[in-house]
Amino acid sequence: MSVNLGFAQASSDFLTAALLIYSLAVLAFAGDYAFGRPRRTAAAKAAVPATAQLATVGAGSAGGGSASDTAAPAAPVVPAAPTPRAGAFKAIWEAGPWVRAAVALSMLGTLAHVVAVTTRGLAVHRAPWGNMYEFITALTCVAAIFFCYILIRYRAWPLGVFVMGAVVIALGLAEALINTPAGPLVPALQSYWLSIHVTAMTLATGIFFVAAVLGIMYLVAERYRKRVAAGKAEPGNGLIARIPSAAQLDKLTYRTVVFGFPVWTFGVMAGAIWADQAWGRYWGWDPVETWAFVTWVIYAAYLHARATAGWRGARAHYIQLVAFATLMVNIFVIQIFITGMHSYAGVS
Amino acid sequence: MTDVHAPQSQPESVAAEDEATHSFGEGTTGAAESGTGRTPEPQAANAGWLRWGWRQLTSMRTALILLFLLALGSIPGSILPQEGTDPASVQQYYTSHPGLAPWLNHLGLFNVFATPWFAAIYLLLFASLVGCVVPRTFRLVGSARTPPPRAPRNLARLPQSSSYSSALSPAAAVEGAAAVLGGQRFRLRRSAPDSPDHWVSAEKGYLREVGNLLFHLSLLGVLLSIAAGGLFGYKADKLLVEGQTFANTTSALDEFHPGRLVSGSDLAPFTLTLNKFTANYIESGQSRGQPSNFDADVTYASSPGAKPGTYHIRINDPLSVDSLKVYLIGHGYAPEFKVTGANGKVAYQEATPFIPANTATFLSDGVVKAPDASLGFMGVFVPTAIPVNGTVESIFPAADAPAVSLIGYSGNLGLNSGVPQSVYQLDTTGMTKLSGSPYLLLPGQTWKLPGGKGSITFVGVKQWVSLAITYDPGQVPALVCGILALAGLLISFFVRRRRVFVRAVPAASGSGSVVTVGGLTRSDASGGFEEEFAELATEIAAAEPDHNKPDPGNNSEVPGA
Repeated sequence: MSVNLGFAQASSDFLTAALLIYSLAVLAFAGDYAFGRPRRTAAAKAAVPATAQLATVGAGSAGGGSASDTAAPAAPVVPAAPTPRAGAFKAIWEAGPWVRAAVALSMLGTLAHVVAVTTRGLAVHRAPWGNMYEFITALTCVAAIFFCYILIRYRAWPLGVFVMGAVVIALGLAEALINTPAGPLVPALQSYWLSIHVTAMTLATGIFFVAAVLGIMYLVAERYRKRVAAGKAEPGNGLIARIPSAAQLDKLTYRTVVFGFPVWTFGVMAGAIWADQAWGRYWGWDPVETWAFVTWVIYAAYLHARATAGWRGARAHYIQLVAFATLMVNIFVIQIFITGMHSYAGVS
Repeated sequence: MTDVHAPQSQPESVAAEDEATHSFGEGTTGAAESGTGRTPEPQAANAGWLRWGWRQLTSMRTALILLFLLALGSIPGSILPQEGTDPASVQQYYTSHPGLAPWLNHLGLFNVFATPWFAAIYLLLFASLVGCVVPRTFRLVGSARTPPPRAPRNLARLPQSSSYSSALSPAAAVEGAAAVLGGQRFRLRRSAPDSPDHWVSAEKGYLREVGNLLFHLSLLGVLLSIAAGGLFGYKADKLLVEGQTFANTTSALDEFHPGRLVSGSDLAPFTLTLNKFTANYIESGQSRGQPSNFDADVTYASSPGAKPGTYHIRINDPLSVDSLKVYLIGHGYAPEFKVTGANGKVAYQEATPFIPANTATFLSDGVVKAPDASLGFMGVFVPTAIPVNGTVESIFPAADAPAVSLIGYSGNLGLNSGVPQSVYQLDTTGMTKLSGSPYLLLPGQTWKLPGGKGSITFVGVKQWVSLAITYDPGQVPALVCGILALAGLLISFFVRRRRVFVRAVPAASGSGSVVTVGGLTRSDASGGFEEEFAELATEIAAAEPDHNKPDPGNNSEVPGA
C-alpha cells in the first residue's frame, strides 16, 4: 500500500506544532520557578512535624506543594485531601498563572503529539513505530502522556521543566538528525507483532524515561538535603528548594519503575514470541536482545536494591539510572552501529 | 541500616520494631540483614561455615551482585562476534586481531552464553533464588495459618492513623469496626472478650507474596524450559534452489545442530520441494530497492508417501510440519551454467547458488567447479546490470537485467587432495588463469574459452532460499512460565499487604468511647494505601449509628479533615 501523502504532511505539521508548544510549556514551567509564588518557605518546612511529613508523603508533591500554597500562611499545615483527581484542576488553577499556562500547554502539546503519531500511522497503514525516528516520536509521546498523568495525579509541576525539557530535547534531536519520511516496512517487520512488541517497548521506554528524570532530580534533592543537614547549605534557598523533597521523589521514581517494569517484561516476551515466528528461535542473544535482557536485569536489581539494607536511597537510584543508560545504549549504539537481526533503525 | 535518611524515606521502618510489623512475611530483607551481619559459631565449624555460606548466597546483597555480574557478563556477547550466531565473523576477528583473539577465546568470549563462567553466574543466581523462595513459601504458609498480630498500644504512631469519638461502648465500637473490616475480607483477630482492652487487628493482601513467589518460581521454569530445548531440540539449515527437493535427513542438511540428547535418527522424516521463490522490491521513491515481500512456494509431505500439501512460507509465517517449523531465513540467486570440456562433453550443468555480497543490490559472488573438464570459474552475478567504467554494477536487487562476470581457470581443482573445500571458494593454487580480465555473459550467451579448453554457457537465473528447520520442545513450557512470571509480577506489584488496627477506649466524659484506627503497609509498590486507609477509616466511622465524623486532629488524612 502506498503512503498517504496528506496524512504524512499533517503528521509532520502536528509534530512541529507539538515541539513548539512543548517548548512554550517548558518556558512556562521555568517561568513558574522564576516568578511564581514560593511553594514552601524554610520556616514552614521546618515547622512541619516529622509525623505529618510522613503522612503526606504518599500524596506526592501535593503535601509539599499545593497544600501550603492554598493554606493561609499562618494556618497550621493541613495535608492536602488525598482524594486524587477531584481537586486537581482547582489546585492547578490556584497554583498561579505560570502553572496554569504550563499545564495547559503541556496538554495541548501532548494532544498535538498524539495527533501527529496517529496521522503518521494512517499515512503508512501500520503502527507508526517502524524505524528509529518513528520510535523516538512515539516514545516521547508516551513520556508526555505519562507525565500529564503525573502532573494531575501528583500535582507535579515542579518536575515539568525537567521532564518536558527532556522530551523537547529528545524530540528536537530526532526531528533535526534522523527525520525519516513516511514509507513502507521491510518484510521482516510486516507482522502484527510489530504493534504488540514495539508498542510495549515504546511504552516502557517512555515510562522509564520519566523515571530517569525523576531519579536525577532525586539525587539533586538528596544531595541538597544532606548538605542542609551538614550545615553546608541554606535550607529553603534557590531553585532546589522548590522541587519536591527527596523522599517524595524516591517514592514517585519507584512507582514509575514499578509501572514500567511489567510493561518491559511483557515487551521482551512479545519480542521473543515474534522472534520465534520470524527467525525460528525465541531467544538467540542477538545484540539487541542481550541489551534488553541487561536492562531488565538491572531494573530488577534496582527493585531488589530498594528492599535491601545499605542499598536504599542514592545507591538504588544510581542503579536505576544505569539501567536507563543501558536502554539508551541499546537504542542509540547497539541498534545503529552493531549489526544484528534488529538492524531496522533506518538511520544511515 | 547505614542509610541516614531511611527514617524519612521509609516511614514503615519507624514502626519496624513495633509488634505490628513483626513477621510481616518479608523474608528477603530479613535474610539479607541477618545473613551479612553474623559470623559462624566457632564450635560447629563445618556446619557453621556451610550455614554461613548458604546465608551469604541467599542474601539479597549476593543476589544483587549476581544480577550485576549477569548483566555485565552478557555485554561482551553483544559486542564480540559469537560462534553460535556468526562463526564467519569470529574467523574474521581472528584474522584482524591475531594477537588478541586467542586470549579472548581462552576466556570464552566468542561463545559467552555457553561458557562455564556464565553458567556459574546464572546457576548461583538461581541457587540464591531457590534459597530465598523456599523458606519464604514456608513462611507464607505459616503466616496464612496464624492470625494477624495484636494491635499495638499506640496506634497514632503508625504511618496512617485517625480517630473519632463514638457514642457506643468500646466493645461495641470495636465490634462495629470489625464488621466493616470483615466485610472487606480482612482476616481478623479480636481482643479477648474478658479483657479490659478492646481492639481488632485486620490483615489483607497475602496474595502479594503468592505473586512474588510465583514470579521467581516461573523464572526457574523458564530456565528449565530453555535447558529442555537445548537437550532435546535441534536446529538445521538447508539451502534449496527452485525446483529442488530435500528430505529431512542429516546427510541432506547443510548444517545440523542437535541438542545434547538428539541423534540423527530422531529427525522427523518430511520432504519439501521449493517450487518458486518470489521477492518484490519497491520500484521507485526514496526506499527504492527495499524489499516489500518474500514468498517461498513449497510442496511438502510430512512423511514419505503422505499426502503432499502446499504452503507459502514467508518471513513471519513459517511452515509447521508435525512439531517442526520451517522458516525462510535467507535468499539469493543461483545462475545456471553449462560447462563443456575440451572433448565437447557436458561436464557441468547446474544452478549454482551465489552468495550476496551486497544486500542492497544483491551483487553476488560464487564459483563454478567442473572437475571433469578441469575447469573452474570465479563469478560475480549482477541482477540489474548497468555498465560503469568498463565493468558492470548492480543498481537494483531484482533480476531485471542479469549478467555474470567470470574469471576462468584451468588445471587441477584440488578436490581429490583430501582437504575439505568450501563450495563457495575456488582453490586456484594449482590452476592457471585463462584470461586477464573478467568475461561478461548475459543469459543465453556462451564464452568459448581460449586455447580450445571448452566453453561455459550462462543458461539462466534461478533463485535459492535458505531454510531453517527447528524443533524446540521447551518452547511451550517457556511461554507458559513466562506468562506465569508476568502474572506473578503484576500481582506482587499491585496487591499490597496491609494491616489495619482499631482500638477503642472509654471517653474521658464517661459515656461513649474514643476509637483510633491505625494502618500500615510494608509493600505498597504501586501506591494507594493512603487512599484506601482514608476510605476505610471513613467507612468505619460511618458505620456508627450516629455518623460521627472523624476527628480532624492527630495526623489524620481522612477526607473532610
